[in-house]
Parts: sequence; structure tokens; C-alpha cells
Amino acid sequence: MNVVWMLLRVHGRMARRRVAAVRQESRLMAGVIAVFVAGYWVGGYYGFRAGIDFLAKVPGLQAVLLDRLLYVFFGFLFVMLTFSNMIIGYAALFQNDETQWLLTLPVRAVDVFRWKVLETGILASWAFLFLAGPLMLAYGVARQVPVWFYLKVAVLFVPFVVLPAMLGAVVIVGATRYLHRQVFKLVVLALGGLMVAGAVVFVKPYDVAGMEQTQMVAVLNRLLHGSQVAVQPLLPSYWVASSVIAWSAGWGSRGGFFFLVLLSNALMAGLVCVTAGRRWFYDGWSRAHSRGEWRSGIPLLDRRVNLPRLAWLDRGIQALPGLAPATRALVVKDLRMFWRDTAQWSQFVIFFGLLGLYVVNLRQVAYDRYDEAWRTFVAVLNLGAASLTLATLTTRFVFPQFSMEGRRLWLLGVAPCGLRRVLLEKLWLSSAGAVAITLTLMVLSCRLLRLPGWQLWLFSGTVVLMSFGLSGIAVGIGALFPNMGRGAAALHREDNPAKIVSGFGGTLCFVVSLCYLLGVIGIEVLALYAPLHWLGWEAGLRLLLVVAGWLIVAGVSVLATVVPMRLALRRVESLEI
Amino acid sequence: MIQIEQLTKQFGALVAVDDLSLAVARGEFFAFLGPNGAGKTTTIKLLTGLLKPTAGRVLIGGHDIQTAPLAARQLIGYVPDLPFLYEKLRPLEFLEFVGQLYGMDRGAIRHQSGALLRVFNLDEVQDQLIETFSHGTRQRLAIAAALLHDPQVLIIDELMVGLDPRGTRVMKDVLRQRARAGTTVFLSTHILSVAEELADRIGILNRGRLVAVGTMAELRRASGADGALEDAFLALTKEKAEAAS
Repeated sequence: MNVVWMLLRVHGRMARRRVAAVRQESRLMAGVIAVFVAGYWVGGYYGFRAGIDFLAKVPGLQAVLLDRLLYVFFGFLFVMLTFSNMIIGYAALFQNDETQWLLTLPVRAVDVFRWKVLETGILASWAFLFLAGPLMLAYGVARQVPVWFYLKVAVLFVPFVVLPAMLGAVVIVGATRYLHRQVFKLVVLALGGLMVAGAVVFVKPYDVAGMEQTQMVAVLNRLLHGSQVAVQPLLPSYWVASSVIAWSAGWGSRGGFFFLVLLSNALMAGLVCVTAGRRWFYDGWSRAHSRGEWRSGIPLLDRRVNLPRLAWLDRGIQALPGLAPATRALVVKDLRMFWRDTAQWSQFVIFFGLLGLYVVNLRQVAYDRYDEAWRTFVAVLNLGAASLTLATLTTRFVFPQFSMEGRRLWLLGVAPCGLRRVLLEKLWLSSAGAVAITLTLMVLSCRLLRLPGWQLWLFSGTVVLMSFGLSGIAVGIGALFPNMGRGAAALHREDNPAKIVSGFGGTLCFVVSLCYLLGVIGIEVLALYAPLHWLGWEAGLRLLLVVAGWLIVAGVSVLATVVPMRLALRRVESLEI
Repeated sequence: MIQIEQLTKQFGALVAVDDLSLAVARGEFFAFLGPNGAGKTTTIKLLTGLLKPTAGRVLIGGHDIQTAPLAARQLIGYVPDLPFLYEKLRPLEFLEFVGQLYGMDRGAIRHQSGALLRVFNLDEVQDQLIETFSHGTRQRLAIAAALLHDPQVLIIDELMVGLDPRGTRVMKDVLRQRARAGTTVFLSTHILSVAEELADRIGILNRGRLVAVGTMAELRRASGADGALEDAFLALTKEKAEAAS
């Protein structure tokens, strides 16, 4: 029997047991997940439908805009899928216990590679189907397509998710085989820096003279021009979007043509990927597990590369007044561990890098030239994007922190500093990191939008409060619902934070974070737009209402920080280690 | 059965295994000792083909682990110190899966699994998921899985840690019995009494070099210590550590 097929079967059996266990052990969790999925699908469908209906009102351009939206959507997804496959793939191929175990058995290394790429592809891509489902449904209903359209699109998505999975695997296995881990870190940092520098240097605002007369046409021109990169015919996202558009219009052969282009490229990518795996995977695995330096024979790569050891940060923390020695030690330990785990911080770089690129690009669409109501609206959207990204990252990275300390609880739990200090340190560290990033983005966004000073203070203050609120939720729920395994399972338990997050606590953390940020943004929108609706922008009561709204936001944020933290502190005080 | 020829593994400037040559015969029980960081786990990773050597080679039953890995691994049963097990499977399901990976037919898997579950007292927990097992029970299941395909070479890394006295006794009996039946056992351990009790020959690794190899009597002679293995071990590793410094 084929090894990959055997592994798929055994993992399928375990997945069924996990789902059954969730249903049996926690009806609450099953309910939360079901409500969340249904909520996203219903909300997503109506949201996408409203957007499509809005575009349909643009005279003469509705089809062009809708098509362009699809090209951009699939282009963005392709990039995200590739990054996602690379990040998950590295952990699955080179840091995974199952991989190591399989490599000791009479199983070909290329079969282990094929299985891990398949597993990574499934893990990285399921969310794509989840996200794209309501959009396709709304698009199909708007275009009044027959039912078989959905079936064809479902088949079309298979080669579309295969391509980034193969591309990600080839990049990761090649980089691990040929680049030293420290060189790899430098390359990631350099690429990130180049992307940001390129965006800052090359992205210039267009001349929007005369926009007042033909504002709508100028906006559309700008949008179409700015998104031209998504309609390059050599992009896989172009092929998938072209197929969807053609099939929805009833052009079967054109849709079929692009499907075949996609399929043939996916098959070719599969061939390249398996060839790369056959040549590089075992060597790369051996290198990844051979600590210390290695020599490639290429002088440029063999030059000694030393990443900064964060000594300046250590010194900075030592110099901070008012910190207890134990807290200093915990902060330095957490920072060092974060910095040394490339898979952790590279996701931060990607998420906030993309957000940074977007903010830097605000001038591209010349939002700063619009009226104040529109600019305020864009700023609220930016606040939403920054806080949503932050909620995702606090759930992904901060929530599992306490569970990850599981094996070390014998040390931290009996140390004189106590677990109370550990939790508080994690809250402050997470909040400080979140404030540093989100506040920079928010200030930059407000400056680029040329918002008045009081709005800069308003949005900056809100994002600071949300950084504390989201960190409090993640640290608190992380300690209240840790995933540390039972008995001996704790010793053998999953060390992968991505899998810790997938439990009940992680789901609850994300849902609570989402409710909190929706509540805060809702209050802020109400405070900003209620006066506009009833009193006009220049009304004197406006500032008062905004201040009142912000005070409510502050109150909600204090509650979001304090309540889960108090419950968590109470729990760790009575925790049996 | 195990032929190690001038094996070297370097991690940059660090030489983890240094020009190691060793032959372990069929049916021999070989204990591999050494202080922490001596290179025992690296050697085992080289023996199982998990790492590529910087120089030298490892032959298992005449098959080079690097050039003919499948043929060599077919002969090996390997038990790491923290074995990987599928948490959501039951013991019998896990053994069936492992048997399939070794290309065994269903009848043989069923027959062997039943016998091993009885020997290791796992039949009483066979309806439970592995995630509920204690550390010792996991260890017993891991060795059952390693013995399932009746390997000619058994490589074990720190097996006795976490086992209760009864489990330790069962394990010792099984290993002794297997060695008598012709299986080569390569056991890496820190528990000197186990090595002293079970091993035909003992090898001591220090700073990547094989500093002594032989029977208990030969080690005593080489170290000049008359007492237990502990004295010989301390004398041999101390001597080399002092020479190195």
C-alpha cells in the first residue's frame, strides 16, 4: 500500500476522533465553532452581496469593477497561501516529531516529503475555501449562474491551492538545504526591508488635479490602474479569476482553457516539487539538525554571519528603572526565545509588513485629498484592520504562551517570583510589543490621511487601549484554558503553538477578541458619525460625544484587560503543578 | 551486523563523533555509555540514518545506511528516548500501522501484535487511546512497535527511564531473550547497572571518541579499577577529560 495513502488514512481516523471528542467533551466549544462558522458564512454572504450590489450601481463599469475585484482577491489569496505554506511547511518538514520518526523507518524520504507537503497544503488551504465560499456564492447569485457553476469552481480551486503549496515547499526545502539558518534569517529580514523600502521609494501619489469635477472617474481610474498588477496573464490568480468570470458568463470553453492552464501548471509544479524533495529534503533535514556552522563551498555563503544577539535590548531592559530582577529575567527570556524562533517572528513580519505596505500606500489612492468624512471613514477602517490583525496575532502567539510554559512550570511555579508575576510580565510584554507596532501604523495612517490632531489622538489612544485589551484577553484566557495535556501526555504533548490554538481555549480567545474589537469599533463609529448624522460636522457637541465615546471604549478596554487577568491570576494561585 | 567505519560527525567546529570504528556481531548485546554530551545520541542518529556523517560509514547487515537506507532500516528496530506515538490511536491500531509501514502482511501483524501486547502487559489498556497512557506504558508500546517486524538490529536510546520495576524486569527479559535468539541489541544508557547486568560488551564514548570497548573484565583491566562498572567508567572518562583539558 502507498505510504502517503496509509498516512492519510491514519490521520483521517485521528481527525474523526478529535471531532467526535470535541462533540462529546465540550458541547459549548462545538456550539461556539458552529455559530462562528454559520455567522461568517451568513454575514460574509450578505456583506459580499452588498458590495457586489453597490458596484452594480456604477453605470457602465459594474462588470469591469467586479471582475477586477476577483483578480485582486485571488491575487492576494495566492500570495497569502504561498506564505502560509512556507511557514507551516518549515515546521512540518524540519521541526516535526512525526517526520523524524518516519525517517527512521523503511520509508523513502521522498514519501515523507510528499506526505508532509500534502498535510501542509491541507492545513494552509482549508481557510481559503472557508473564506472564498461566501464570496463565490454571492458572486454566483448576483450573476444568476446555474448550480453546476459552483461544482466547476470547487474543482477549479484544487489546482489553485496546489500551486502555492508546491511553490512554498520548493522554496523551503531549497532554502533549508542551501542556506544556513542564520543566513535564512538575514535573507528574510533583507527581503522584508527591501519590500518596505521599495514601497516607500517607488510608490508615488498621482496627480489628481481636477478630481473635484470628475471625482468618481478619477477614483475608478486610480483603482483600476493601481490594481493592474493583478491582471498579469502569467499569474495563477489571473487564470483562476478568468475561469470563474468566463464560466459565470456562460463561456464554457474560455473557462475550460484557463482551468487547463492552471491544471497543467499545478501538475508541473508538483513534478518540480517532488524532484526538489527527492534531491534536497533528506540533505536539508540532516543539515537542519546538525547544529553549528556548515560550509557550502561557496565563499559568499561561507562567510561568517552573526545575527545581532539582542545585546542592546538586554542592556536596555537592564537599564529600565522599577523592574524587579525576576521580571527583567522573564522579559529577556521571552524576547530571546521569540527572536530565535524564525517561524514565530516571520509571521509578525508578514502580517504587519502587509499592513505597513497598505498604510504606506494610502497616498497612492490620494485619500488625503478627500473630505473629512471620507478620511475619517478610512481611518476607522485602518483601526479595524490593525486591531483585527492584532487579535489574530495575540490569539496565535500570546494565547499559547502559558501552555508552552507547561514543561517549565516546575521551574516557574516553584520559583520565588511565582506564576502571578509570569502572567503579569506576559501581559505587559505583549501589550508593549503590540503598542509599538500598532501605534506606529496608526500614527502613520493618520498623518498620511492628514487628519486633524484630535483624531490622531483619538485613534492612537484607541489602538493603545485595544493593545492592552487584546493582550489581556489572550494572556487571561490562555491561563484559564491551557492546553498542557494530561499526565504523561504533558511530557509528550504538542509543542506546536498553532495546534495549541486550535483547541477550545484558542477558539474562545479569538471569538472574545473579535467581539471586543467589534464592540470598540462600533462605539467609536457611533461617536464619530452620530453627530454627522444629526448635528452636522461642525456642531459643538461633536467633540463632547467623541470624548464620551472614547471614555466608554476606555472602560470596555479596562474591563477586557482586567477581568480575564483577574480570573487567570486567581486560577494560577491555586494551580497544582 | 553493525559495522561502523571511521565515523565522524562535525557540527561546525565541534566534533560530536570523532573517527569512531566499531563492529557489533549478530546476537551481541552491546551497551553504549558516556557522559552527557559525549556524542551517544548523535551516534545513534547516524546509525539510524537520521543524520549524514561528515566522514566514514555505517553498515547494517551489510547495507550502507546512506546508500541503501531502505534495506538497512528494514533490519532495524529503533526506540528513541522520547518515542513518537499517535495520540488518538489505540495500541493495536498503532501496531497495525507500523506493521504496514514495514510491509508486513495483515495476518503476521495481527499475530505479532497480539503476542507483544500480552508480553508487555498492554492488552489491558488496548481499548484506550494512547493519549491517556503513562510514560512507562508509552515506552512499553514503543518497544513493542520496534519489535513488531522481528528486527535483526535493535537500537535503543535510554529505554529504562520512566519504567517501573516490573516494566524494567519485563524489558530486560525480552531484550536478553531477543539477543539469545540472534538479534543484535545496541543500547545507549546512563544506568550502569543495566549495562553491567545485560551487556556482552560495553563501549564508552567520551568527547566523541570511543575511549574503551570490551567486556566488563577488559574494562576493569583497562581502567585499573577493580570494582563495579561505575568505577571503571569514572576512571576512563576522567582520564580522558583531564588529557583533553
